[in-house]
Amino acid sequence: MNIADIADKTVALAEKSGATQAEVYSIRVKTASTYIDDDIPKIGGSLVEFGIGLKYIIGKQIGFTSSTLAQETPEDVVERAKSIARVSNEDLKFVSLPEPKKVSGSPDKYHDNDTAAADSTILMEKAMEVVKGASADNVTVPNGSLRVSSVQYHIRNSLGVDVGSKGTIAFGFFTAKSEDDSGVGEGVQRCWSRELASIDFSNIGEVLKSQALSVLKAKPFKEKWDDAVGVLAPSEGSEILYGLVAFAANGENVNKRSSPWTDKVGDVVTSESLSIVDNGQSERGLLSSVVDDEGVPTQKTPIIENGVLKAYLFDSYNGNQLELSSTGNGIRRIARDLAGRFTTPAVCAATTMEVKPGTKSVDDIIGEIKRGVYIEHFAWPIVDPMSGTFSNEIRNARIIENGELGNPIRYALWVGNLYESLKGDVMVANDLEVHNKRVIPTIAFPNTEVVGQ
Amino acid sequence: MLDMMTKVIQEIPEKDVSFADMRQESHASTQIMVVNGDLRRFSEATKGGTVARVLVGECWGMSSTSESLSLEICKTLLKDATRSAKANARFSRKPLDFSGVQPIEQTLWQKCKVDPSKVSTEEKLEFVMALDKSMQTDARIVNRNSIYTDEKKIFRLVNTAGSQLEWDEIRTRAVVQPVAREGNTMQFNYDFRGGKTGYELVQAIDIEPFGADCAKGAIELLSAEKSPSGKMTVIADGDISGLIAHEVCGHASEADEVVKKRSFLTDMAGIKVGTDLVTMVDDGTLKEYAGSYPFDSEGTPSSRTVIIENGVFKGYMHTIETASLMGVAPTGNGRAQDYNRRIFARMTNTFFDVGDWKDEDIIADTKDGLYVVRSLSGMEDVVGGGVQCSALKGYIIKNGELTQLVRSMTLAGKVLEILQTVDAVGNNLQFAGGSCGKGEEDFIPVTSGGPHMRMEMVVGGG
Repeated sequence: MNIADIADKTVALAEKSGATQAEVYSIRVKTASTYIDDDIPKIGGSLVEFGIGLKYIIGKQIGFTSSTLAQETPEDVVERAKSIARVSNEDLKFVSLPEPKKVSGSPDKYHDNDTAAADSTILMEKAMEVVKGASADNVTVPNGSLRVSSVQYHIRNSLGVDVGSKGTIAFGFFTAKSEDDSGVGEGVQRCWSRELASIDFSNIGEVLKSQALSVLKAKPFKEKWDDAVGVLAPSEGSEILYGLVAFAANGENVNKRSSPWTDKVGDVVTSESLSIVDNGQSERGLLSSVVDDEGVPTQKTPIIENGVLKAYLFDSYNGNQLELSSTGNGIRRIARDLAGRFTTPAVCAATTMEVKPGTKSVDDIIGEIKRGVYIEHFAWPIVDPMSGTFSNEIRNARIIENGELGNPIRYALWVGNLYESLKGDVMVANDLEVHNKRVIPTIAFPNTEVVGQ
Repeated sequence: MLDMMTKVIQEIPEKDVSFADMRQESHASTQIMVVNGDLRRFSEATKGGTVARVLVGECWGMSSTSESLSLEICKTLLKDATRSAKANARFSRKPLDFSGVQPIEQTLWQKCKVDPSKVSTEEKLEFVMALDKSMQTDARIVNRNSIYTDEKKIFRLVNTAGSQLEWDEIRTRAVVQPVAREGNTMQFNYDFRGGKTGYELVQAIDIEPFGADCAKGAIELLSAEKSPSGKMTVIADGDISGLIAHEVCGHASEADEVVKKRSFLTDMAGIKVGTDLVTMVDDGTLKEYAGSYPFDSEGTPSSRTVIIENGVFKGYMHTIETASLMGVAPTGNGRAQDYNRRIFARMTNTFFDVGDWKDEDIIADTKDGLYVVRSLSGMEDVVGGGVQCSALKGYIIKNGELTQLVRSMTLAGKVLEILQTVDAVGNNLQFAGGSCGKGEEDFIPVTSGGPHMRMEMVVGGG
């Protein structure tokens, strides 16, 4: 039985058993992978997973359950969901599941057949291009992983939503280790695309090698700079900016008043150089699809336009509370791992965050900075999205003084408050890259500190 | 099911295959989440799947499916895994010797005082609603989040060495997270209880102070100042010292990082890496801790591994493969997130062991410093030997007394330098269960712990 038929059958069973509304999300994921270990392909893998998630509603009582249907039938799943709904408290904020809307575009618009067909042997060959590219007497690739997934999902609800979408994602993560008499260094590179063929694996290897060798020359940073500009490469800036914006613009956080941007639509929240949209149909987005995971058509939603907060993101539950439509942001899937996504109901979340590129190159931006640090790799970039505070350990960076890139440094912390920094003289470069759920260029964040160790 | 899996794995036709195993998993979980008094999620999820692994030379193939298990499916998984292993094996440099793997036949079902599956959903719901109410103590608490989860995982494993295993793991967890707001300032706090235990964990919680104290902590943080930055004397509470143990020496002691010489702790056995006060252990056998289990994902029994003893580095955590490569016994640390993910060396319950200081004496003995409380997140640096540990809050110490409350800071430094500065270790162990990723993914339940510890670290106050 195909995933649409299973969804259809399960909704019918739920309605027959007394549900006033029901929604089924059925998904099939196929993933091939290869893991690099100590310069060789260590593990080749494949997985196939199917599952359904059922939302069973009696009035305003909601129960959710999920299953791979390997050891139980749709009837069992419906009975379990019903038993949960019956004992649930009424959720007075719940209004309705989404109504059907016209969907434009083919469901397989974001699906690449060649990527979907790639098996672990093809991935092994691609990953070994990275190893070859990084190869040097004192450089190895101790860790790497490369995987491609094809996903097909379908949403059926009792109001008539009966839609689905398909997609593909390729993701790679590689590290290189360098070593000489002065010590060790590490390079880290990730790659993301909907199309495996678009990734230049040899180049990733070259960059890895260059990063790892650069760290060997890095000197411990021992000063404390109180007013520095942090210029973050797209991989790092995307994590920290997304961590803040996707939280603050999230309709659920607005509704429960944990977002600092609650009641601030129309206010200036960042520098006017910053414009950000959530684009469910992003040309390069990994989760791009014609419908979200509730079956609502995806759209392009401006979040920040020239520094002004324009809108929040909503799934149907949170949009309904404010008598607003869903913005197509009811999401279950994550780009990094599509397996197991049927086990949770859709939540309000961003699809693809696109930052409008500036006109200047990274070199131009660096040329305008008196004192700062150009950061290619943090231990793990994080920000507290409620307060905006951050303090991240720098692993791979170069200082900037009087518009010039200086020596590589290590053992330093980049510290500040991102809400405050974003209101300063933010500079946005023109080098867009895809990183997870973001399409983002290099960005310079002002008014931050660099603390040496 | 075990007999069927055994039959297939013992009839692998490929002569090149030196080892293979097959693991079937069934997961069932409950999650209840209440937000601001509203039941936001009530779910019961099940999933199941099977994975086969095949070793050819030094390379593995693995294949998994969520399909219902049959003889045919078993054969297909092994065939697919063998194909992948053989393709990789053209790069193999040496064969691996798994002849030392001992067959085990055992069935172990976890004994809970109160099996969560026997507790009514109404009772669980009532508990979470009570958690929510317990945080409703002040108008400045603008958002209350309460979560209850339980999960039961059943594992069945066979391998070519002749093992036949069945076991289960039951874990329960309760979390509160209030958000406080005053003007434009927002702060959150959290607390939780969790472990490899049944519903008795929930029944032991004194709900009102559990939530109210956490809410009070969030409100106090509204007036917290920015933490000072720079190198200073830090007293870590047990939660933070546990995080340091996990991130600092834990990940670097996972032997898969050692056999390929990526870890800065490679070839360090017998070398003094800390003061005499530093002892660190990984112990997967501790009763009721989240990181405990009877067998790892390869079917090796869990064990206690001393990593650092009185400052001297002692040993690593092993899978079957790394143990074979290093000529030691596997320690039961080969873990996978689930049937879709790879197995590699992972921690269980990792902690610094106790010293003989009273916690309050460490603070009283410190002229200037920072008392750091409650972990947020951490990141290892296996290659460089650095560390990043983020904490929720702290107190400035002046002349042996706690003074100003400060918010949100990151601790960093070079591990081998930090451990050489440890000069006071408390006599009270504190554990916190959580989830650990490796290389940014592959999340598994673990516990980290430790006593209060005093050391020199770099602090960055955000």
